[in-house]
Amino acid sequence: MATHPPDDIAIIGWHVSPMIRRTELTEAQMLLEVVNGATAHAGITNADVDFTCAGSCDYVAGQAFSFVQNIDAFGAWPPKRDSHVEMDGAWALYEAWVRLLVGDLDVALVTGSGRSSTADPDIVYPMEMDPYYLAPLGVDAMSFAALQARVLLDGGVVTERQMAEIAARCRRDARANPHAQVAGDFDVDALLAEDYVREPLRRHDLPPITDGACAVVIARADKARELCENPVWIRGLSHCAEIHYAGLRDLRQAESITRAAKAAGVGDAPVEVAELQTAFTHEEPLVAAALGLGADVVVNPSGGPLAANPIMATGLVRIAEAARQIRDEGRHRTLAHSTSGPCLQQNLVCVLEGE
Amino acid sequence: MSHQPCAIVGIGQTHHKSRRWDVSLGGLVREAARRALDDAEMDWDDIDAVVIGKAPDLFEGVMKPELYLTDALGATGKPMFRVHTAGSVGGTTGIVASHLVETGRHTRVLAVAYQKQSEGNAQFALGSGKGASLGAGGAFAPFMRSYIQRSGAPLDVGPMVAVKDRLNALKNPYAHLKLENISLETVKASPMMWDPVRYLESCPSSDGACAVVFTDEAGGKAAAAAGRQPAWVLASAVRSEPASFPGRDPVRPQGAIDCAAEIYATVGVSNPREQIDCAELYVPFSWYEPMWLEAHGIADEGAGWRMVESGATALDGDFPVNMSGGVLSSNPIGASGLLRFAEAALQVRGMAGEHQVDGAKVAMAQAYGASAQYFAMWIVANSLDPFGS
Amino acid sequence: MTTTRSVEATIRFPYKRSLGPVMGAFMTALTEQRFLGIRSGERVLCPPREWDPDTAADLSADDLVEVGPAGTVESWTWVSSPSAAHPLDHPFAFALIRLDGADTALLHAVDVASPDALSTGMRVAPRWKAERVGHITDVEAFVPGEVPQGGGGAGAEEPVTMMDYDAAITYTTPVTRNEMRAEAANAEGRFLGLECPACARVYLGGRGFCPIDALELGPEHEVELSQRGTITNYTIIEPVQYPGQTETEPFARVHVLLDGSDVILGYQPVVEFPVGDVRIGARVAAVWNDTKVASGGGIELDGWIPTGEPDDTDPNLVNRIC
Ligand SMILES: [Zn+2]
Repeated sequence: MATHPPDDIAIIGWHVSPMIRRTELTEAQMLLEVVNGATAHAGITNADVDFTCAGSCDYVAGQAFSFVQNIDAFGAWPPKRDSHVEMDGAWALYEAWVRLLVGDLDVALVTGSGRSSTADPDIVYPMEMDPYYLAPLGVDAMSFAALQARVLLDGGVVTERQMAEIAARCRRDARANPHAQVAGDFDVDALLAEDYVREPLRRHDLPPITDGACAVVIARADKARELCENPVWIRGLSHCAEIHYAGLRDLRQAESITRAAKAAGVGDAPVEVAELQTAFTHEEPLVAAALGLGADVVVNPSGGPLAANPIMATGLVRIAEAARQIRDEGRHRTLAHSTSGPCLQQNLVCVLEGE
Repeated sequence: MSHQPCAIVGIGQTHHKSRRWDVSLGGLVREAARRALDDAEMDWDDIDAVVIGKAPDLFEGVMKPELYLTDALGATGKPMFRVHTAGSVGGTTGIVASHLVETGRHTRVLAVAYQKQSEGNAQFALGSGKGASLGAGGAFAPFMRSYIQRSGAPLDVGPMVAVKDRLNALKNPYAHLKLENISLETVKASPMMWDPVRYLESCPSSDGACAVVFTDEAGGKAAAAAGRQPAWVLASAVRSEPASFPGRDPVRPQGAIDCAAEIYATVGVSNPREQIDCAELYVPFSWYEPMWLEAHGIADEGAGWRMVESGATALDGDFPVNMSGGVLSSNPIGASGLLRFAEAALQVRGMAGEHQVDGAKVAMAQAYGASAQYFAMWIVANSLDPFGS
Repeated sequence: MTTTRSVEATIRFPYKRSLGPVMGAFMTALTEQRFLGIRSGERVLCPPREWDPDTAADLSADDLVEVGPAGTVESWTWVSSPSAAHPLDHPFAFALIRLDGADTALLHAVDVASPDALSTGMRVAPRWKAERVGHITDVEAFVPGEVPQGGGGAGAEEPVTMMDYDAAITYTTPVTRNEMRAEAANAEGRFLGLECPACARVYLGGRGFCPIDALELGPEHEVELSQRGTITNYTIIEPVQYPGQTETEPFARVHVLLDGSDVILGYQPVVEFPVGDVRIGARVAAVWNDTKVASGGGIELDGWIPTGEPDDTDPNLVNRIC
């Protein structure tokens, strides 16, 4: 067994909630399930958790300070060292990872959660755009994705047929994923015969609306060894943002992904599997190229966000799935990607390795 | 512990006002950030990563504003991180930024926190736009009533805090409220808004931002060598606890007690009143000063109000509290925590101007949030070894 | 068997945004049927901002230059079923439009009859609203061609410094099974409690879990709670007027400790209890109102009414607030 310096940090447990169109549970109840599931998976109890960090969003929840109620799911008594990011749980994992790197704490629990079913995404997502020039026009995330898709189509980066093939592959692979919301066999020609929802995007190019949550437990090297026979080591973790207003960017590029990948050491050794937060089909070739992934890399074997897209947890689920590929599928080195904002504005890259 | 020292070398803030209608959201945060960069003798491209903190997005109606503000804060091609831990968020923002330096992730990190309350209506947003809300004053009033009764504090103590903080604010060029004629009489004559809290014992609603530049040991020492005194982050801690359950004491929250105990232990403080020179505590309503003095072990339980009454917490007292004028004088909610943390750093840098505590070497800061259940604290000093251990 | 139910609530926010010098000038120019960009080095950025997006360097209103009014479509998407937030109520396109003289693209709507009329590289010009206030929607949409349409009238008399932004989002939130059971009990004039099997703390019925033990609580943990209690703490609130405020006179909110339990109901309204009489130790009883529409597990109470019993004089009552 390789020895790991004490500052090496590993994933030692995770839990993904059912991914469904509309939950009957509160966000705190969804979290209760994944928190208890992840600690059980890691073989620990709440009392062993030194730090908690949650990722969620008031505008998804429809309430100011919505995360305050969610603390009830963490068993934060005696009081816990705790934080919250108004970002995907993947960034909560980033904060927790940095917190453990400080060196005085051993175990952290990270969550991402959201109930996207509660409001119309076309009405909610314009709220995250430039408040002067974009939000008043009601420009939603899907429209931005479509604008980027056309730039990629015009630029020959992808074709509509390739986009349909990506959708078919993801939903086919999703059949083996118990958490998938959309899975099945789809004929590419039949998909291409469908009408556009937001030209050039068809229904199959879009993610489902999903309620869901995810929790991940990480630990410093010595503790990870003590608690776990096969920790999944975080080899690199980095994130990067770019200009917000899409009209100021070259939409054929995703430079922030390339920067984050470089900082996370993606190119240091071959990656076998990549779980990408590519909620729209055309994003997959762009993100894969920006990450520098070769053609042999297996992309989104879980089905990815096209199979289930629990906003605020989608990125953390990618990390859990990339970890699962090592723990359960015998892979050695995998990658997870998360994104936020219009046209892949902000990106996080996480590289994982087994022993 | 594997972490490295972290220094604060730049601090900036906006002029806080009820309506900063002269600036956009981007303009507001850039005003604070620019002052912090100038103080640090840096420019945008010297910064490696940005951490942004603010309270609910519903206040301004911009969801995840770190997206819009990425390029406004020079974070194009850099990590941009957003925290939200209720009222304690400004403190958490500073702590997360300090960890990025302490762990060697980055060498120079810019932390920015803001709120532009005038864009919307905070009272309204607290009710999530669905109808009436009690407001923060209504929520905290029963806690203060409990404190007053259990401590036996004279009813003048709250007004005394209100006067002291507003007098301090007169010395702070950035403070929002400038109440030249503040006195015990005017405070006591002001309307009882949330019995037992009067209008002049309550915080205002402000537009404002605060920015802090963090760097590593080499950067801190270089600043010191160039004659620019850094503040060293000696300890930081956070705690959260559930809002309500039988057995919780929100007047003396366990989270506050544990959080303070952790930073004292880290630095080796056994007697905070003696060893710490001054403190910036999140006091949005007057009675929170004695409550926090007790919950943070600065005063014995039941004796916090005696420190207020004796003048110990005044600018010329033996343990000055809220030298800046505090939250009672400026309250851009999301920024209020970072303003506390920044003022503590200003004090140990000797750069607090008219509200400087003579000879301040070690200062603490605290921010709290939600139903007095989220806490963030730190201790900063003018050297890495202020007690000469 | 329980059936699922949801509660619908619309969050409606009126926001007022200050524009600052650069966007203020841009919006003022819109009222004059002109577009402004801002020069940063070799480039002209439109729409303009106060900083260079790559370097964050300050840009000033002195660097504003006129661009457009016509431009070239760089990308477009067809919105076949517009949302309530969209600028047009019939199918239209969103497009990235590089206005003549600018090096970057402005996002706006393009109004054509069908997507067949759209192509990357096509030329478009603005169709101005007749009434312009200094808002991005002063341009109703862009239309094919080189010549601006619509408009007329004069520009703003004073420079535009503010803009309005109204957001309305409707949230449909599920009512949980515990909340429904608690409501059903309330409808019968009963309070339901849930007792945690681990720590024996009792919570009001709708909550569904123990925050201490992070344990799910269900029907098997139900206990009956008293409808009488004692006021442990209170506040009298002078209502501040803001959108949505329904109170006009000072009103009380009380904490009630239910008899025979540790359950505290915080911030409760009172009934037939003058503000001046509200006090710690007063004995109160729940007043139910079966005409109130359930708000999602909330207690359908009008409030708490004095019972006339002698006050509880326990000096520690004031500390029972959680
Ligand atoms: Zn319990």
